[in-house]
Formats: sequence, structure tokens, C-alpha cells
Amino acid sequence: MFAQAETVATPEVLWWALVPLLVLAGAAVLLLTVASLVRRLPEWLPAAWTIVAGLAVLVSVVPLWNEVQDDGARSFLAGAVGIDGSTLFVTALLAVAVVATALLSRAYLTREDLPGVELYVLLLLSAAGGVVMASANDLIVLFLGLELLSIAVYVMAALHLRRIQSQEAALKYFVLGAFASAFLLYGIALVYGATGATGLARIAGYLSTTILLEDGMLMAGFGLLLVGLGFKVAAVPFHAWAPDVYQGAPTPVVAWMAAGVKAAGFAALLRVFVLTFGSWSGEWQPAVWGLAILTVLGGSVVAVVQTDVKRMLAYSSIAHAGFLLVGVQAASDRGTAAVLTYLGVYTLLACGSFAVVTVVGGAGDDRHGIDAYRGLGARRPWLAGAFAVLLLGQAGVPFTAGFVAKFGVIAAATEGHSYALAGIAMVSAAVAAFVYLRILVALYMEDRHLEDDDEAGAVEVDPAPWGPRIVITVSVALVLVLGVVPGPLVDLAKDAVPVLVGG
Amino acid sequence: MIAMAALQGFDSLMSGDTVVAQNIAFGILAVVMIVAALRMVTTGNVVHAALYLVIVLAGVAGIFILLGAEFVGVTQVLVYIGAIVVLFLFGIMLTRGALGEDEEADTEKRRMAVLVGVLVLVVTGGAVLDSFGDAAVNRAAPSLTAEIGDTIFSQYIVPFEAVSVLLLAALIGAIVVARKD
Amino acid sequence: MLLNQFLLLAAALFAIGVYGVLARRNGVLVLMSIELILNSVNINLVAFSAVSATVGGEIFALFIIAVAAAEVGVGLAMVLLLYRNRRSIDLTEIDQLRG
Repeated sequence: MFAQAETVATPEVLWWALVPLLVLAGAAVLLLTVASLVRRLPEWLPAAWTIVAGLAVLVSVVPLWNEVQDDGARSFLAGAVGIDGSTLFVTALLAVAVVATALLSRAYLTREDLPGVELYVLLLLSAAGGVVMASANDLIVLFLGLELLSIAVYVMAALHLRRIQSQEAALKYFVLGAFASAFLLYGIALVYGATGATGLARIAGYLSTTILLEDGMLMAGFGLLLVGLGFKVAAVPFHAWAPDVYQGAPTPVVAWMAAGVKAAGFAALLRVFVLTFGSWSGEWQPAVWGLAILTVLGGSVVAVVQTDVKRMLAYSSIAHAGFLLVGVQAASDRGTAAVLTYLGVYTLLACGSFAVVTVVGGAGDDRHGIDAYRGLGARRPWLAGAFAVLLLGQAGVPFTAGFVAKFGVIAAATEGHSYALAGIAMVSAAVAAFVYLRILVALYMEDRHLEDDDEAGAVEVDPAPWGPRIVITVSVALVLVLGVVPGPLVDLAKDAVPVLVGG
Repeated sequence: MIAMAALQGFDSLMSGDTVVAQNIAFGILAVVMIVAALRMVTTGNVVHAALYLVIVLAGVAGIFILLGAEFVGVTQVLVYIGAIVVLFLFGIMLTRGALGEDEEADTEKRRMAVLVGVLVLVVTGGAVLDSFGDAAVNRAAPSLTAEIGDTIFSQYIVPFEAVSVLLLAALIGAIVVARKD
Repeated sequence: MLLNQFLLLAAALFAIGVYGVLARRNGVLVLMSIELILNSVNINLVAFSAVSATVGGEIFALFIIAVAAAEVGVGLAMVLLLYRNRRSIDLTEIDQLRG
């Protein structure tokens, strides 16, 4: 007979470890169902629902974290997914980014008079994809998580349906993203061919015990994987989409791209390269080294000549990706902890900065030229002050969290004897500081000049709705607190170093 | 019983003659696919390009069957040729007015694209040539669909669920983007 | 049949697909070229699967076919949206975004 008589052995499921994922996906499906059944949904409900889901994930991470710290990392469901410190750390960051994005989106959608349920559904699904990536123990799962995350974000970028820039940004992002996914897949296929496995633990086992006489295919696989993931995290020279997409997409969605997508992308880079290909770090480190140098320098230098603040922040996010790559390049536990710390800090900085940009952008989401920021210090002292703190944080000024983050990755690089890389990273940090200085000058110094000109020339900034206000306040407060007392975050990141458990 | 008979039949087919036949089949498929793929990326007519894509996709299905992956081959025909190509044809028809016969890339851009394409071919082709030498594909029997089903629902249950969520996201996304206000 | 036959065929399709993505201007044609790359990946996976006599690679190929369908759906929806608003699907005419 065709069908086998024996029943299929179903793999073990650790339901408690799946809670964050189930909450995100379940919340998305439930929201969609309710929204399609109830004709007139209260306007605040989707946002509130999303925020509750994000907070629930955040709460659920705490007992899971304790469990993992006590009993060690686990892998389950036939070794397809795992749970370890880094999984939970990145999950928490994604949850924070979801809450922040939902807070921003509510105000944005009301202001732009856009229909809104889909944005929240896609945001939740995208976050679920990110969590899948962070817990993937198999290249297939990693790829599918990445696709779930990406497809949802492509559509979110197009959601300002009346703004042609938004649609162009989405199409550009989609075409380049699909291209990058195809490269990533080819890389996965080659690695599968060279090692005979897609499970990360089995690949790692194979690589650490086998000496390949002909490693050309494995090297090509590494290279294509790096290209694919490099696209997703916007590393130079695969960054071409980032400035255009950041400029065109709705600003709250950009906050999610900068914070959420980047966190998930680096979680994947850490899992695949540092963790799985760790025993071959000598082979891929030079490539990441080059990528890191190009990215820190490219991002910082090109940011200087931008006149649009959203593009400026896009290039600065590219530079941040470069610093994160410096941490990845170290290929050590210290480097990984530094990357996770950096991701934590950057999530706050990105959410806060793009919250300010959302507010200043005004109706139509068009006022992003640096002119819109001139003299903001006099007219809106609190908003300008908050933005100043966030920019100083991005520049890595001491006593802000940004300094802790940059210090961590550079220390990891010097520990790994990558002195040249550490030096170049510091130089480009100085160059990047000039960018933030330009915005600061616009905020505070160019006030009088404008008043002399013409009163009508002054751009009126609407008062911030409570959503962005909360995001800005919380992120500024945390950036300052973590700048002075970085211990808790750094310790958490140290405990979050990922471990690979065989399935 | 039937499966056993099929297996034995397949075994007896693995003699020298069939290997030659397989190689000839592969050669024809490969030449047709590469020519069709080249025409697809160079033709000026978008509808022709879609039809060339059908030829390539059918060739890929043939390759899958040569490799003993019958279920994947059938899925390829059903999903790719049956659904995705139809989707492409709809896309072409709905954007008809925008498509002239003058689909021409700038020569500058085309030269760069040729360069990158050749580079990719040399890198990936060279890499695999190195690694496998003359390893042969000698699958004793085509893979059983029942085995694929069992494996999906045990070992690959997580990706299976992930794909279902992904299709949901794509569904919502396509509707949101394509609907009229 | 040698494994390398299949891998080289896949590499050729991959290279042609990359060329298509880079050289084409029409959004629909770019999407088709991406499909070409995905098919080359599937040939690789199924060939490796046949060599190792396991079904892992075949199942991966099935998932990729599903993902490709999802991608094409979303991609064509975006192309249609852009066409409705500007009567052109030439990707090189995307010029609203400039620094």
C-alpha cells in the first residue's frame, strides 16, 4: 500500500516557549477577523489592540528569560526553532518597536486620514516574522521568517495610498528585497549542498568536524548569504534602497524599518555567521570586515551632504549598521553582546528620532527638509530638546546611551585585534557627528535669520499628539538613563549571548 | 505492492541505455531552457517574454522529474505554470497601455548587467565545479510523495506553519495595495 | 547523470536571471527574472536532495514555490498600483525620490 501504516511521530512542542510568537500572530489574525466582522470599529481599537499585544509579548518574555537562564537554551519542534537568551532579547526589542510604531501610527493615520486596520495587522505579522528569524534553528525557518517580515514591510511602505512617493518607495523596496532574497536563497542552497543539512546545529557540527578539500561552494554560499542579509540590513554597497525607501515610506513605518527590521536582520546575521559558521570565522571575517568599513564610512560621509532630514537619518542608520557589523566581525561572545547592546540602544534612538520626524513632517508627511527644523528650538523648546538628545545619542556623545553602544562594539573590535577597523569606526563616528551637528545648528542657531526673513516662511509645527509624545518622552528618558547607568542593559546583553542546541 | 512493482521497474530502467537516454533528455531540456531564458530577458515583447518563461518553467519541471522529484515537478506545473504565469499575464494585460515594443535598456546599463551576469556565472559555476567533480546522481527510486507528506508534518512543521502565515500576510498585502479607494 | 550538470544549468539560469533584473526596465519583466533565479535555486535544492537521497531539499523547494507565489502576488499588486497612478511601469522612471 502507498500510505505507511505507522503514525507519523509528531515532534515535541514547548508551548510556553512559543508564547511570544503565538501572541503576535494570534493578535494579528484576531484583529483582522474582528475588523472584517464589525462594521464600525472604534478608531482607537486597532492601535490599542496592537499596543496590548506588544506589551503582552514584553511581559511574557520575562518568565521565559528566567527559565532559559536557569535551565539553559533549548531547541524543539524537531530542532527547527530554538529559544535562548538572544532570541528573547531580540523578541523584546521587536515588541518595544511594535508598541512604538503603533503609538506613532495612530496619530499618523488620523492626521493623514487613512484607513488603518491593515497597517496594524501587517505590523504584527511582520513582528511575528522577526521573532521567527530570531528563534530560527534552521535555514528554511530563517528564510521564511525573513520573507514574512519583508513582505509585510513592503506593503506597509506602500500604505500611504495617495502619496506617489510612498508607492514608488514600496516598489523599489520590493524589487530590491526580492532580488536580495533570491541571492540569500541561492546561498542557502549552496550551503545545503556543501554540508548536507539546513539545520543550524547540524551545519555547525559538520563544519567544526570536517575538513573540506574543495570549499569553493561553501565560500560562494557564505558570500551569497552575506549579500542577501547585507541587503536587508542596508550595508554598503547593498544600501541603495534605504535612503529612497526611508524618504518615501510613511514615517511610522520607517521607524519600524529602522528599529524592527534591523534588529531581526542582525539577529539572523549573528545566528548564521557568528554562531553557525563560527568555526570558519577566518574565512568570512575578511568579507564582513570590508563590508563594515564601507558601511561606516559610506553611511557617515554621504549623510553629510543630504538636505532632507529623513534621508540624513537613513544614511545615519546605514552608518549604525556599519557599527553593528564591526561587532559581528569580532566573531566573539563579547562582540555578540556588544551588537545586542547596540541594537537595544538603537531601537530607542530610531523610534524616538522618527517620532520627532513624524511630528515635524506635518499633514501630508512632506516637511522633511532641514528648513522645517530651523528655529525649532525657540518655537518648540521641548520637542527640539528631545530631538537634540536623540541626535547626540546617535552621535555617541558620552553620558548618552549611544556612547555605551559605540564603545561596546569598538572595544570588541580591539579585543579581536581589528585595530584598523576600530580606528576607522572612530573616525567615521566623528564624521557622522558633523551630520547631527548640522541638524542641531538648524534647531538652535538659525532662529533669528528666519524671523528677519518673513513670518510666513516659518513652518508651523502642529502640537504633538499623545502617541508620539509618549514615544519621544520614554526614549529620551531611557537614552539618558542608560547613558549614565548602562549596567542593566549591558548585563542583559551579556547573558543573551546565543547558544546553538542540536535538535 | 504497486509501489514495489514500480520500484523494480525503475531499477531495471537504471541500466546503461537509460542513463544515455537520461543524458540526452537532460541535454535537450538544458539547451531549450537556456535559449528560452536568454530570449526571455532580451525580447522586446512582454507577452513573448511570459511565454518564454513558461518554456523555462516547464523545463524545470522536466528536470525535477529527471531527478526523481515527481511531486515537486507536478507542483511546479500546477503552481508556477498554472497560477503564477497566469498572474503575470493578468499583470501584463492590465498594464497594457504602458508596454510598447521598445523595451530597450540603455546600452550602458546593459553592458554593466552583462558584466555582472558573467561574473555571477563564473563564481557560482566555478564554485560547484570545484566541489563535486564527477559525483553522479544515482537515486535508486523516485522519492515517495507519502514520505514528503510525513516529513513536512513532522520535521518541517514549523516552516509549514510559517508559510501559512506568510501567505496570509501576502493576501492581505495584495488586497490592500491593489484595491481602489 | 552528473550532479554538476544540474548545478551548472542552475548557475546559468541564475546568471541570466541576474542579468534580467539589472537590464530590464519593465516592472513585470523584472519580476519574471526574479522567478528565473528562484527556479535555479530549486534545481540546486532538488539536485542536492537527489544526491543525498533525502527529501529535505525537495521540501525546501516546495516552500520556495509557495513563497514565490506570494511574492508575485504582492509585486504585481504594487506594479498595478503604480500603473494606476502614473500610467507607466518603467522602473527607471521612478524619480520622485531624490536627495
